[in-house]
Amino acid sequence: MIPRTLAVLSLALLAGACAFARQDTNEPLDAAVVQTFKPGTTTARDVVEKLGAPTEVVQLGKRTAYRYDATTQKSTVLFLLLVNFGNQDARSDRLWVFFDDKDVLTHFGASYGTHRTQYAMPWEDVHEAADNQSRDANRPGVGK
Amino acid sequence: MNGAARAAATLALLATGGCVTGNYGHVSIDEPIADERLGPLVPGRATLADCLAALGAPNRVFEYAVGSDGASGMALLWSWRDQAGWGLDVSSGDDSIPGSVSFDAVTAELPGYMLWFGPDLVLQRARRGLVGELVPGRLRPSPSDG
Repeated sequence: MIPRTLAVLSLALLAGACAFARQDTNEPLDAAVVQTFKPGTTTARDVVEKLGAPTEVVQLGKRTAYRYDATTQKSTVLFLLLVNFGNQDARSDRLWVFFDDKDVLTHFGASYGTHRTQYAMPWEDVHEAADNQSRDANRPGVGK
Repeated sequence: MNGAARAAATLALLATGGCVTGNYGHVSIDEPIADERLGPLVPGRATLADCLAALGAPNRVFEYAVGSDGASGMALLWSWRDQAGWGLDVSSGDDSIPGSVSFDAVTAELPGYMLWFGPDLVLQRARRGLVGELVPGRLRPSPSDG
């Protein structure tokens, strides 16, 4: 009886379905455009003309900082009868531009991650350096 | 049917009815920052430009140490999430019967780094912790505060 029960349980475990989902928020940032920004020269008006309205504006005393971002999220779910396996990988492009009291760019910092997002199972490592590098190489303005 | 087989059959029946489901999930948000990347960023020497070049864009930026002359420093927060865990959903399978129980081992606490800069934009201090501990309260009152 036990082998038969195990066989039924095994079959039940194997029966299932899978689902994939993707959610994008905002357009990925154009790294080539961001590279044209020059501290001391570029103004807030220049940045807004090239990137549009920022997601957030932060007042920093007499300074201001604008945030631009985009996010891509990929989800994978494997449904089995007794157990489900799910993975969610979300990564962002982010840009912060800092302006002085004359609205002239003083600093900026950018991170590009939307192209690294993966469909994966939960036991997989989605942060492997080699994987990131190969994806970076295919994105203009990001790969070395 | 012995006890083990009966228990297995009962579990299978419960699962078939959608009553008990085990879950293994992994949630990853952005890239974790390794401690080594903060090594070269020495308080008193590293500048805002150095930190942005080393760590990329932060998730959040806060006003910090506003002086009477309006000059201000800033605090920058980098955070991420990379957590995996088992969970268990138990439900009655009948909407008229309350009693759906869910246990999820993936918690909402996110790790992060906060870096504080003075008005001269030189790094004053850096700290690793949970975002809830690092993020300051509101620095400016909202209009509704009167």
